[in-house]
Amino acid sequence: MIALVPAALGVAVAPAWAARDMPVAPATPGGDPYAPAVARTVGAMIDYTRWPAPADPLTLCVAGPAAHAGWLDRVRLAGGRGVQRRPVAPAPAALAGCEVLYLGALPLPAQRGLTGAVQGKGVLTIAEADPDCRSEAMFCLVFEPRALTFRLNVDAISRSGLKVDPRVLRLAERL
Amino acid sequence: MSGPVAPPLPTLRDLLARAHLRLIVFALALATTSLLVSGVIVIRAYSQRNLELIARTVAYTVEPAMVFGDPQAVRDGMMSVGAVSGIERIEVRDPAGPVLAAWDRQDHGLGARIERAANRVLWSRPATGAIVHAGRPIGQVRIFGNSEGVLRYALSAAIIGLACIGLTLIATRILARRLQQDVIEPLDHVAAVARDVRLGGRFDQRVPAAGIAEVDRFGQDFNALLGQLQGWHDGLTTQNAELARQATHDPLTGLGNRALFERIAAAAIARAEVGEADSETRPFAVLFADIDAFKQINDRFGHESGDAALIAVADRLRASAPHRDCAFRLGGDEFALLLPGPIGRAGIAAVTRRIAVALQQPFRLPSGTDARPRVSLGVAVYPDDGESAAALLRGADRRMYQHKQRSRSLREPGAERDDP
Repeated sequence: MIALVPAALGVAVAPAWAARDMPVAPATPGGDPYAPAVARTVGAMIDYTRWPAPADPLTLCVAGPAAHAGWLDRVRLAGGRGVQRRPVAPAPAALAGCEVLYLGALPLPAQRGLTGAVQGKGVLTIAEADPDCRSEAMFCLVFEPRALTFRLNVDAISRSGLKVDPRVLRLAERL
Repeated sequence: MSGPVAPPLPTLRDLLARAHLRLIVFALALATTSLLVSGVIVIRAYSQRNLELIARTVAYTVEPAMVFGDPQAVRDGMMSVGAVSGIERIEVRDPAGPVLAAWDRQDHGLGARIERAANRVLWSRPATGAIVHAGRPIGQVRIFGNSEGVLRYALSAAIIGLACIGLTLIATRILARRLQQDVIEPLDHVAAVARDVRLGGRFDQRVPAAGIAEVDRFGQDFNALLGQLQGWHDGLTTQNAELARQATHDPLTGLGNRALFERIAAAAIARAEVGEADSETRPFAVLFADIDAFKQINDRFGHESGDAALIAVADRLRASAPHRDCAFRLGGDEFALLLPGPIGRAGIAAVTRRIAVALQQPFRLPSGTDARPRVSLGVAVYPDDGESAAALLRGADRRMYQHKQRSRSLREPGAERDDP
């Protein structure tokens, strides 16, 4: 059995790189410098995840107050697939039709409740406000000064019903 | 005006050794070069394929890092797969062109400079791998090959080639020695025998059997030729000896003739002149003899009886001479004895006494009656009585004549009746 302790992994986004690919602040609504990096990272995560039944456009549900999700409706996926952003209530019943669940700043039990509800149902879960990755989300964003990394929970990925490209594992932040 | 000295002719052994060496070195050089070239081509082709494979692997490995926009991860991925031997430089580029990450082999020795020069020849174009994400190119991996492996192969091939050439040198030496034993020694035997025949006239020499068929056949033919030569030589020698004997001997009595006498007398005089200081060869004496009343024998009893008388006198003179080769028949009934020096009066007297005793033996005429030859003698001594053969002979003749006159005048008239 795989260790239940979430494997905390991460990816560092160099500010220069991020700046070159996605111009920061001025063009950003609300002036959030992380928003472009979050959009890019989420897009890449979606790109390297395979659903049993691919949907186009994908429905990206944002639950709870998300601080850096400003650019999420601009996410462009490979192959020209679209992403449809949908704000949802932080309740398991509201999650039907979601392919991606972006968890905002919710209490840890609430996050666990939502991740538990979609477990095994083919939903990619990304936690924004859980740097220790204890929410049972598949990916947890870690905001560092001028850089965005992520951790991933191998246990959650293996139970998600999705297939994540193993090369992504290498990119996650090492413990 | 002395021309340039002709260089000594090369020996067969040298020629063979040189030919072998050239042939083997040429073959080795050919084999080594073709192996080297084909090896370099094959290795380069495999390396090229390997580089392309590595480029594709690197592209696949760094693709998510490119998508996530993580240059450190790009570098890590690139290093984990690509930093192996045989690679000079790896680049990961943007589709736009700028290099996002690069890795260079760290080596700045002399070997590295040679390698870089070889790299430019062997790997003028890098192997490339496109980084594709969902069908869209998002970057390119370029890998520049390293000639280290090819150079190492070439170096080892060169070392092996040199070692082979060294072995070849030893092998040709051994081969040349064997050839010398098998071919050249028999030829040398033939040459030695030919020299012996030419210089020493030794026709009895034969070439020993050789270990190689052609050379052995040559030796056998040479031996057969030598056998024929020996036959001819022997025949010629015999004939020559016979002719010489005929030219210098009297066929009736078997004694030497006047020519031989003159030759031997001249030789004796020459010897005596040379050895003047000692008395080893001088004085020597010439004894002249003729048969008394030989004409009457011929007239009264016929030529056959005359011949019998000549033969009888010749036999007796020969038997009385110091050795059998110094009695001569000068012609008609004239005989001469050459008494080799040193000889004194006593020696001469001993010889004349022996002759007188020998002549007491009667001989048988063809008619069946016995007869006793009567011979007059005269002696001349070198150098007292003359210094040439003719002078000596004249002196001896004169003495004999005087002696004959004296004995005739002293002899009783009836003594004549004993004559045959």
